[in-house]
Amino acid sequence: MPPAAKIRIDLNSQVPAYRQIVDAVRVLLVDGTLPPGSDLPSVRRLAMELGVHFNTVGEAYRTLAEEGWLDLHHGRGAKIIARGVQEAASPERLLEFRVQLRNLVAQMRAAGVPRTRIAAELRAAMEGLDL
Amino acid sequence: MNNDLPISLLLAAFTGALMLLIPHISPHRYFFAITVPSGFRSSDAGRNSLRRYYAAVVCSVVIVVVTLVRMDRWPGELLALTAMLAPAILGMLAFLWERSQVARAAPPANRIREAELSSDDDRLPRWIALVLPPFAAPLAAAAWLRARWNEIPARIPVHWNAHDAVDRWADKTTRTVYGPLLFAGGLMLVVILLTLAMFYGSRRGRQRTAIVKMMVATVYFLALLFSAIAIMPAVPFTPTVLLIPGTLFPVLLLVWVIKVLRDPKMPVESTPDECWYLGSIYVNAKDPAIFVQRRIGFGYTPNMGNRLAWLIMGGFAAVIVGLIFTLPR
Repeated sequence: MPPAAKIRIDLNSQVPAYRQIVDAVRVLLVDGTLPPGSDLPSVRRLAMELGVHFNTVGEAYRTLAEEGWLDLHHGRGAKIIARGVQEAASPERLLEFRVQLRNLVAQMRAAGVPRTRIAAELRAAMEGLDL
Repeated sequence: MNNDLPISLLLAAFTGALMLLIPHISPHRYFFAITVPSGFRSSDAGRNSLRRYYAAVVCSVVIVVVTLVRMDRWPGELLALTAMLAPAILGMLAFLWERSQVARAAPPANRIREAELSSDDDRLPRWIALVLPPFAAPLAAAAWLRARWNEIPARIPVHWNAHDAVDRWADKTTRTVYGPLLFAGGLMLVVILLTLAMFYGSRRGRQRTAIVKMMVATVYFLALLFSAIAIMPAVPFTPTVLLIPGTLFPVLLLVWVIKVLRDPKMPVESTPDECWYLGSIYVNAKDPAIFVQRRIGFGYTPNMGNRLAWLIMGGFAAVIVGLIFTLPR
């Protein structure tokens, strides 16, 4: 049996815990580690495992449900659903992503990561995700 | 010389030996109930801490022994109580002192949390059904006592002193005869319910299953011990015999606990050091876990910052107090 998918969050991070959960789960959804039809732990169970408030996990699940990844009406937990073909992102959304990417690249450069390494990391991230 | 003195001296030595073991019966990641990096135990600072603690415990036992010898006119109960409590209290003070020293050397707490995204592990193992057969023991003992009701004497012993002599009797009634069995059944149910509460109210991990095994073994032990106690009025035997399983079971449990705790693969839960008081009381209102892994010994302890934990522990305490009234007096 393959090992179960795991997520990690840092409670000392300035990024809110719910956002870290959304980001970590989304990566696993996009790269296919969590296929449609599989169950996520209940809100209570995941909150207990991560040591965060139930509302934090509830908020993360609701965000993922709004993005079309989860069905929250399946008992107390959450079921992953097939997400269908998405419409292309709007120009405003694309601009938002561009700003985020620029911020990330700037942070990496400020931390001394060479340009070639940043390009390689971005390529690896693209190839790692099932796009 | 006071006849109770030798037993009291033995008790003091036994309590001191237990106190010496305490730093070794903790998950490998904790040292004096503080999160430490791997290798800290064998570092100079770690070894010095242990040496100081050992010296303090040995000194406290010597002080208690000298006190007991000088105060041998004290009543037997007071001698025994002093022999058990004084080394434990003094040893605990030494433990807390070392804990404060280790806390200064501890690195900042790791606040990274990891969770499996699976709902597979939330079912109890099938072998939990093994908790049911032990109920046959008190039931069989009750049936056996009922069949031999006329052979049970009109007055039955209910308490023995340290010298194995009966010091309290009770009249033969349904309560005095069946009380220990009712108490056993209730206690076994409490252990099972507490196991379920711990399993579902704690984080996932191998230690959850290990605790369930320990609880199942405890249910068997309680069933056999109290069934043996219950048949004593019909089959008189010296209660000292019961000291053998009564001592052997905790010792075996302790050996097993040390073995489990030394397993480097046994996961250790991350809880903030600052939420632990006296090394064994956990209070964290931000943590939704109802039970968390203990830092001293093996098992779980309630998160006193969680209202549900208070409710559950209060409920169990009330049931246990109620059960005590079923015992003959």
